[in-house]
Amino acid sequence: MGGIKPPFFMNNKIPNFVKTNQFGLLILVIVFICIFSFSTDGFTSRFNIYALSRVVALDIMIGLAMMVVILTGGLNLSLGALGVSAAMFGGWCMESMGIPISITIILVLAFGSFLGWINGFVTVRTGVHSFIVTLATMSIYFGFMTLLTEAEAFRKLPEAFTDFGSLKLFNKYISPLLIISVLTCFVLYYIFKYTDIGRKLIAAGANPDAAELSGISVDRMFIYCHMLSGFLAALAGIMLTARIGAAIPSMAGHLGFDWLLPAFLAPVLGGTLLSGGKVTVFGTMLGAILVTLINNGLYLIDVGEFWVRFFLGIILLGAVLLDRAREYFTVKNSIVS
Amino acid sequence: MSALLKKDWFGLGLVLIFGSILISLFKPAFISPFNLYVLMLSVSLMLVVAMSQMIIIAIGQMNLSVGAIGGLVAISFTGLMEVYSMSILPAVLIGLLIGLACGFINGYITVKTGISAFIITLATLYIFKGMNLGITEAQPFYEIPEAVKFFGNAKIFGPIPYLVIIPIIITVLMWILMNRTSLGRYMLAYGNNVQSSELIGISSTKIVIYAHVISGLLAAIGGMLVVCRLQLGTPNIGDSWLLPSFAAPVIGGAILAGGKVDVIATAFGVILVSIISQALVIFKIDPFFVQIFLGFMILLAVFINRYREYREERRTKVFSDE
Repeated sequence: MGGIKPPFFMNNKIPNFVKTNQFGLLILVIVFICIFSFSTDGFTSRFNIYALSRVVALDIMIGLAMMVVILTGGLNLSLGALGVSAAMFGGWCMESMGIPISITIILVLAFGSFLGWINGFVTVRTGVHSFIVTLATMSIYFGFMTLLTEAEAFRKLPEAFTDFGSLKLFNKYISPLLIISVLTCFVLYYIFKYTDIGRKLIAAGANPDAAELSGISVDRMFIYCHMLSGFLAALAGIMLTARIGAAIPSMAGHLGFDWLLPAFLAPVLGGTLLSGGKVTVFGTMLGAILVTLINNGLYLIDVGEFWVRFFLGIILLGAVLLDRAREYFTVKNSIVS
Repeated sequence: MSALLKKDWFGLGLVLIFGSILISLFKPAFISPFNLYVLMLSVSLMLVVAMSQMIIIAIGQMNLSVGAIGGLVAISFTGLMEVYSMSILPAVLIGLLIGLACGFINGYITVKTGISAFIITLATLYIFKGMNLGITEAQPFYEIPEAVKFFGNAKIFGPIPYLVIIPIIITVLMWILMNRTSLGRYMLAYGNNVQSSELIGISSTKIVIYAHVISGLLAAIGGMLVVCRLQLGTPNIGDSWLLPSFAAPVIGGAILAGGKVDVIATAFGVILVSIISQALVIFKIDPFFVQIFLGFMILLAVFINRYREYREERRTKVFSDE
């Protein structure tokens, strides 16, 4: 490629960060914050920021849970059903069995990982796209959960647990749930960036054949991704239980569908490739923040409760189109330089 | 005979016949006229929905917005008749037009941007559903003309409802499309291998847009049929279509990567799902089990398809060794 010197505006003077879509997202987040704080009352109020932090925390976690499966080039439709099932299991442990909170949390996370393992195992063994596998397990998990709980909620959870969900930190602005989510982001970033296993996961997702040839067990990596997804979904389930103060079978909607849009929006906005092999932990975090902001802002602007979905759809469409345009221009630039 | 055994629908057909005989031996109520009537109603509604998804599976994509299109058309259809007191025929035509437009949007954006149809239809799912809720504010339309109500309720003779006519016509047309027309074969070729189909001169723009437009039209018809059946237009029509719309084609042996669908087997898949749901109700099993069962059915179908593929591969290997 050498020989021709690129013109000054296409060399590396522009920091790489500016070209990434994390940067674009950051700008968008700032722009939306400005718009909403000027055009609505109460956007910057303590109450609203606290409410936002509780919602964002969950959206980040759900987005990460989807992201680690998208890494394999697959999808996890069972995310919501899995998270709610795990949360209901936790509610049962605490309320009916009287198991202490810390042990319950460990059990719930193990249970979530196990359900994720089922997804991964069936996907890998049948070679069928995870879309269809998780479509099936979604209705299986949700069906079993409704059957076993008889659609009854667990409302008498230990106070220490529910108090944590309504705790207010930093001058009563931030929920501790958000701190858990942000910490999870850092841990995942560390895993994918600096650990052996994280690099193997990415390699397996990016090019399964090449990874297999270089001695990575792709099947095992894919199962790990699904287990990690189950783990994070279960964590999201616990967080939601703490936030509501009860474990309710319908807290993620029918079949857990309410979680699906934020789950896809965050990683896709964040620049995770749907074909697999590329993850952006902080992109996903920014994506989740953007979605929550817009959602919240739309309510405050008063577009009407029923139109919020419409605008979210438009925004998802706009975001993927913008991302496509960005990709197109960066590819053109990289060919030139 | 061996050619018959290889067909996707053959095994399913056997399962259907023996399953029905077995169930009716245990519970004679299964073949009562009323039960057959209910069964045919549910089959005919899901048939259209399954075909709507099947044609997108044929080109190797997915359409998550099938239910949202159905819902939007259903409330537009009833809304036009109730609020603007339009007569039935123009309302049906406008309903079809909306379905066509929704499908066109899906297809056009997918093919022009090259973004996966999954994401595009997820976005349009929310757009269409949002429009539906925005227009209706989650309130149903109740004022349906008598003729529409009659069409949804009346029987031709015996237990056979009028409602089965349109789904049967659609199934026949779909069979002709997929097996006897160049457009259908091109769709399968495109689903099988995008690159090579483009190399032999198939226009991917045309194929993808046609497939999505047909899918949108079928979803629209499905939505309007549900209105006839329910006798009202509620905004939540189509909400529960996603799982069954994939279940029937997959049970019928469709490969999600595209290039292989079977119209008859899909129809049998619909009937199988309906019979099982019905049987579970007759045996007084918890309705939540129906959902679990549907999930296991998909997994089972997937395993069987995989096994057959594997056996096929092994057989061809033996021949090539000789």
